[in-house]
Amino acid sequence: MTTSTPAPRRRRARRSLFLRALPFLAPALVAYVVFVIAPMVESIRLSFFSWNGFQGVPQEFVGIDNYVKIFTEDPVFWRAFGNSVIWVVLSLIFPLGISLLLAVALNRKLFGRNLFRSVFYIPGVLASIAVANMWRWIYNPNYGIGQSLGKALDLPWLADVQWLGDQNIALYSVFVAFIWQSVGTNMVLFLAGLQGVQKEHLEAARIDGANAWQVFRNVTLPALRPTMVVVTVLTFIGSIKVFDLIVGMTNGGPAQQTQVLALWSYTQSLVNHQYGTGNAIAVVLLVITFAIVIPYMAWNARQEDR
Amino acid sequence: MMRIKRAVAALVAAGLMAGGLAACSGSDGGDSSQVTLTYWKLTDTNPATKKAWSETMAGFEKKYPNIKLKVRDYSTDQLKQSLRTSLGSSAAPDVYWSWGGLGIGGEYVKAGGSLDLTKYYKKYGWEKEIPASSMSTVKQYGGYNGVPSGYSGAGVYYRKDLFAKAGITTEPKTYDELVADAQKLSDSGTTPITFGGTVNWHLMRWLDNVLMTECGSKTYNALISLKADWGTTPCVTKAYDEFAMWSQKYLVKGWASLSDSEADNLFETGKAAMVIEGSWYPTVLQGDKVDLSNVGLFLFPTGTGELYGDTSNNYVTRTSKHPDQAAQFLDYLMSPEAQKINLDVAGTRPVNTSVKIDPAKQDPLNQTWNGLIADAKGLYEFNDQALSLTDVTEYWRIQNAVASGDIKPGDAGAQFQKFLKNNK
Repeated sequence: MTTSTPAPRRRRARRSLFLRALPFLAPALVAYVVFVIAPMVESIRLSFFSWNGFQGVPQEFVGIDNYVKIFTEDPVFWRAFGNSVIWVVLSLIFPLGISLLLAVALNRKLFGRNLFRSVFYIPGVLASIAVANMWRWIYNPNYGIGQSLGKALDLPWLADVQWLGDQNIALYSVFVAFIWQSVGTNMVLFLAGLQGVQKEHLEAARIDGANAWQVFRNVTLPALRPTMVVVTVLTFIGSIKVFDLIVGMTNGGPAQQTQVLALWSYTQSLVNHQYGTGNAIAVVLLVITFAIVIPYMAWNARQEDR
Repeated sequence: MMRIKRAVAALVAAGLMAGGLAACSGSDGGDSSQVTLTYWKLTDTNPATKKAWSETMAGFEKKYPNIKLKVRDYSTDQLKQSLRTSLGSSAAPDVYWSWGGLGIGGEYVKAGGSLDLTKYYKKYGWEKEIPASSMSTVKQYGGYNGVPSGYSGAGVYYRKDLFAKAGITTEPKTYDELVADAQKLSDSGTTPITFGGTVNWHLMRWLDNVLMTECGSKTYNALISLKADWGTTPCVTKAYDEFAMWSQKYLVKGWASLSDSEADNLFETGKAAMVIEGSWYPTVLQGDKVDLSNVGLFLFPTGTGELYGDTSNNYVTRTSKHPDQAAQFLDYLMSPEAQKINLDVAGTRPVNTSVKIDPAKQDPLNQTWNGLIADAKGLYEFNDQALSLTDVTEYWRIQNAVASGDIKPGDAGAQFQKFLKNNK
């Protein structure tokens, strides 16, 4: 005969545990409120005001004017929004896809496996500004690799490509640098996830006659689902707030064609001193992020409860 | 036991008294006539200007032993940010340095951060010693805000060897001659002009000058002060037409992905013939070991006789508790003694007209600058200082879009005017 604890008693037990843990949680909670929640609330508040940052100048309440302005009058906002969407979509396809393939390839026993893992991981620990600087030199129109290769191979079109100066390709040129920097980190997460794939299941599939692709699709991928969700959400969060690479490589140019929401928010607040507009853009970014992250957190909490 | 208790009580009492006396004394070391003045300025990155500043400070403190200077150095963006967040509060310095244009120094004045120095100008007679062109940024708000600290001109530096190779024997005196010379340079296989597009203000220098050429001084000033309509003033479209022509025919390839130093490097290594740089550039060229005898200089032939450049001022903050001492500090900085230190040690041009430059101690390019500055009929500033920060961000976007062909020259003025109207 099985017994189960009634629901009210379970809730009382959880509440009691929480209250006992509260004194230990309090310092971290205070720090979280002061350094994360409070600035967020202040940013939302400022988005309804007009202010140029001067201490002696009062903040003027303007209601939703800043939002109306960015949606209808700002010549750069929709370009920044579109570029941010493009960046997120491409991040979910290319770095994620490449890192999964690398993880699968480097999960098997092969000569130099650890060296390869290190080689792919190291770019992820470099500072973004250092990566930006390096790739700006690679793309330099006079001394860069494209120019040198173009001359060496007698391909004038290659030598003439303006990787960061051509508005049609500049964003994608920066994105290539992003792929180089980010595949290693996701590869490590996928490698960790692959350790959870049961070898018996893989062997059983092979014994049943499944080929490599069928084993990957029907055994490995389903087992990787939790890792895939984590990597996808982390990739989304990292990509929606892309900033350092853009600042370091193009600063939003040429002519704001590589501008993204995070950088445009920063530019409006801290360069142009339009704190109301800058924070309105930051709130838009926050809403988009919450729209993805909150469902993920709810799903994650349900998984833990199971 | 009683003796120990009494001794402890005496010690405690003595400690309390000492603490009380220390609390009563001011932050200026306990001497009521001692004043500490705080001064915020840009970091000196050049060893010569660092040395000049150090000597200036020592000279001031020797002359005014009752005033202690507390100097804080900032990078460009940090200085702007720190002033913005402190002016009007008790955290503001007594004196600060800033560019004088409406878009930067002007913002601080309009926000009420600067003290009107009219009474000090009367007391010290500064206006008699300062050139009229430097006073424009001081008097443009009514009253007197700031005391000039420096000014720079910017002109077209050119490579004599590349000009000779193209068969150009004299410097262009008119805009049409400049265009003709650019074509000769291009025909001889030389890139006529070089500017870095990643720092928008570099290419901006060419647009500013083309705009002045096409519009003339009166209309140009009306446009910059937003009193004229960019969308309907005919010379604006003409200027953007010309600018598009320069960008697409004569500007270095790949400009959009070059920094200013990378673009200057092309000039210094003989890969481009002309660049607009300031009166500070000879020092840079000497540091980069460029043969100055191969470099010439002329002002962009706008036809107005005005000098393109910028000014900088030292301002006293409205909340300063020591305005009289701050004025004494500014008076010292204006004095022949301090101006001579900066001229002799760092080559900085004096704002005090009684301090004369000895051309024999200068290189040929600086000697050329002496004449160009002396003959100038006025000053028009770099537009990133004349326009507000928000407006200049859009000015640059349109500038780069016209240069790359993304916006038609005919649409540029209208787009800028629409932005100005929406952001009034």
